[in-house]
Amino acid sequence: MEFDWDIFAPLFAHTLTFWWVIIPAIFLGLVVGAIPGFSAANTIIILLPLTLAMDVEVGLIFMVALYCSSRMGAGIPAILVNIPGTAGAAATPLDGYPMTRAGKGQQALAISFVSSTAGGLLTTIVALLAMPWLAQVAFYLHSVEMIVVMLFGISLIATIAARDTLKGLIAGFLGLMIGAIGADAVYATPRATFGFLELYDGVPLIPALVGLFAVSEAFLVIEGETILSGKGQDLMRKAGWAETMEGVRAALSRWWHIVWTSLIGLVIGVVPGAGASIAAFVAYQQSRTFSKTPELYGTGHIEGLVAPESANNGVTSGTLIPLLVIGIPGGATAAIMLVVLQYHGVTVGPELFIENPELAYGVFTAMAVTYALMILTILPLSRYMSRVTMVSTTYMAPLIIAFTLVGSFVPREYLFDMYLAFAFGVLGYIARKTGYHTAAILIGVILGPLLEQYFLRAMKMSQGDLTVLFSSSLANILWVLLILSVGFPYALEYRRKRLKERE
Amino acid sequence: MTKFWAPSRRSFVKGGLAAAGLSAVPFSSALSAGFPDRNIKVYVPTREGGGADRNLRAFTGVWKKYLKTNFEPSFYPGAAGRVGYETYMGKAPADCYNLLFGNMGPEMLNWVVKKPSFSLDDYFYFARVDVDPSVVFVSAKSPFRSIDDVIAEGKKRTLNVGTSRLAHPASIGILAVGEHTGAKFNLIPLSGGKNTIAGVVTGEMDLGVLPSGSVSKKGVKVLRSLLVFDEKNRLGARLSSFDVNAPTANDHFGTKLPPLVSARAFAIQKRAVDAHPDRYKAMNDTILKVFGDPDYKKAVLKTKAPWENIRYGDAAACKTYAESITAIGERFKPLMTGKKS
Repeated sequence: MEFDWDIFAPLFAHTLTFWWVIIPAIFLGLVVGAIPGFSAANTIIILLPLTLAMDVEVGLIFMVALYCSSRMGAGIPAILVNIPGTAGAAATPLDGYPMTRAGKGQQALAISFVSSTAGGLLTTIVALLAMPWLAQVAFYLHSVEMIVVMLFGISLIATIAARDTLKGLIAGFLGLMIGAIGADAVYATPRATFGFLELYDGVPLIPALVGLFAVSEAFLVIEGETILSGKGQDLMRKAGWAETMEGVRAALSRWWHIVWTSLIGLVIGVVPGAGASIAAFVAYQQSRTFSKTPELYGTGHIEGLVAPESANNGVTSGTLIPLLVIGIPGGATAAIMLVVLQYHGVTVGPELFIENPELAYGVFTAMAVTYALMILTILPLSRYMSRVTMVSTTYMAPLIIAFTLVGSFVPREYLFDMYLAFAFGVLGYIARKTGYHTAAILIGVILGPLLEQYFLRAMKMSQGDLTVLFSSSLANILWVLLILSVGFPYALEYRRKRLKERE
Repeated sequence: MTKFWAPSRRSFVKGGLAAAGLSAVPFSSALSAGFPDRNIKVYVPTREGGGADRNLRAFTGVWKKYLKTNFEPSFYPGAAGRVGYETYMGKAPADCYNLLFGNMGPEMLNWVVKKPSFSLDDYFYFARVDVDPSVVFVSAKSPFRSIDDVIAEGKKRTLNVGTSRLAHPASIGILAVGEHTGAKFNLIPLSGGKNTIAGVVTGEMDLGVLPSGSVSKKGVKVLRSLLVFDEKNRLGARLSSFDVNAPTANDHFGTKLPPLVSARAFAIQKRAVDAHPDRYKAMNDTILKVFGDPDYKKAVLKTKAPWENIRYGDAAACKTYAESITAIGERFKPLMTGKKS
């Protein structure tokens, strides 16, 4: 499965000839990614009759382009109106939206587009070169190790709690409690569903996401004229193409940040079942830990936007590695791609690279071409997209509520989910008004059930022996890194204080 | 004044009934002739991309030709499939435009573990599409070459066994082997076939149990099969380990287990059939045509599912199967509910 450079250049050129399918897929992906409730996975399912009818190569390129662009599209409403299109973009508004409120929405979009593209391109190349080795990650990151990876993301609650310990911990705990609703992962016993069938599967993510972020935001912005601050309005009126270029420069000057956070996404993406939300939160947490200005995170800090956007695009290529190398899809979209490949009689796994190397490697060249074409098509649009923030809240707030409530309905088609989104909106509004951080609640809701699933699995495997959590060398290394990563900011702060005292 | 028509009460009632009958006949025929005039929604209580999805798409891809309508699958995998059944019975209109495509084996065991909120008499399976026997399998890199190696190791230490869910015929199969041989198995539910294969391939699980279709599709270079819970190994070398075809549990251990198979089938609400017998008949008639259509065989083979597993069964066959799997489920109920380990 060694990568053959001789086939790369012709394959790249060959993939470029499919621009006629890539460009429509890019626009479709950007739109469905930006609409809460839609995702690459459910769009590909809707379009299955079309992709099944296509030639396998064309179908695969179409799906890959749609997958990559939907990931980028999800960041647009997250930045502009605090509505993450998917759970993978849940960490994006933490710093993206404060930038928008400060009148730097155009710049934030450009940063997001460049980080996503650079992160996606880089991880695609790394995936091409190191596919056999990366596939091995899945052989080492088992339940025990994944518990620690989850805790990296969940430790963000502690970081948030650092500003107001009691409120931060209460919000995080509430999120974890909400995340525990639904049937347990082992015996499928429903817990705290209050008799609602709709909660058997746990609290659905999209209503929680849009409720906590978007609906509560709509309640808040109605109190002002626009979502922008006074200074932000002035900045937006004067904004020109220079803002976009400034965003590009800001992102590219943080190239090293893009590199390592996108690699976090790639590695997490390789693990079957782990997803973009985990990668985005872990990358954000790590970015903050090693930052020289951690106190700026959450206030519109550029690195706080670069990290989750690079990481969630890194996941995209990661999820396709186990699909192609060992025949196991790394995520929901990869699983749907598998259906199409199987329908066309394509056998995935190591033999694919021998029998049909053009198709196997073609997936990644399609990704590379998609990212290259995507940045060219979307970057000029950032100026126009950001103008949405100038719309009066008289129109904006009802639009956000209507748009997000419909988005809550889409994934499962339950009216219940619309009520749930509204309930989460009220919860988010109260939390914000009283100084509780909605992000802490959301982290609990998103990562809590995943942590529980891995924990219960580890416990079942060890038959209740807690020492299993320290049973592997890799897990123990990760535990040490986790303790260091959580303790490091406190140690640094302590050292700073000591130095100040001495001075 | 001449009485033009003066009916007695009895003749009035008779006439009324006759008129109602006459008007009802063409109306009913018109409905039957018009069925289906829109898409049929199919509730699937498992994840998209899984065995049921593959199977359903292959089947409805041909069935639509005869029923002259499209099918819209909706997936409800939550709570070991329970969400799908509850949603179908609780929300879907009983009009024959809503069907359920489920795996009868796990479902019956689900009801053994915990009864649903609806009565089990309110729906029934009427068309079985396949019979997929459970198999014990390991990764191609596993040290276990045969089921005897597994048993020997299982007597020394408890082996972790990946399964799609606890209440599954395959789970019962390995528990029965453990009970018979004294080997210790710890079932780990991994929520679906794909996750189970991932658990075994990545080495987190010592072995796995799943329906044969999911295992054989991967090929012996990825997964080796060690034991089959059926009357015979119908797939031969496709379920083998080091060129030795997987034996059946009954042949190898001398047990008397019934075939522990997954059987995917279409179900319908009883109310829908009572209200629209003509629609139910139209569906049954066209389903039979699918099995004889060469396009269906092509579609199945294209998904790499074994054609040998495609076996039609009518409502009576479905009922017999459901009763046998429920009986064995009752025996292993404490193990499936965690009340005994």
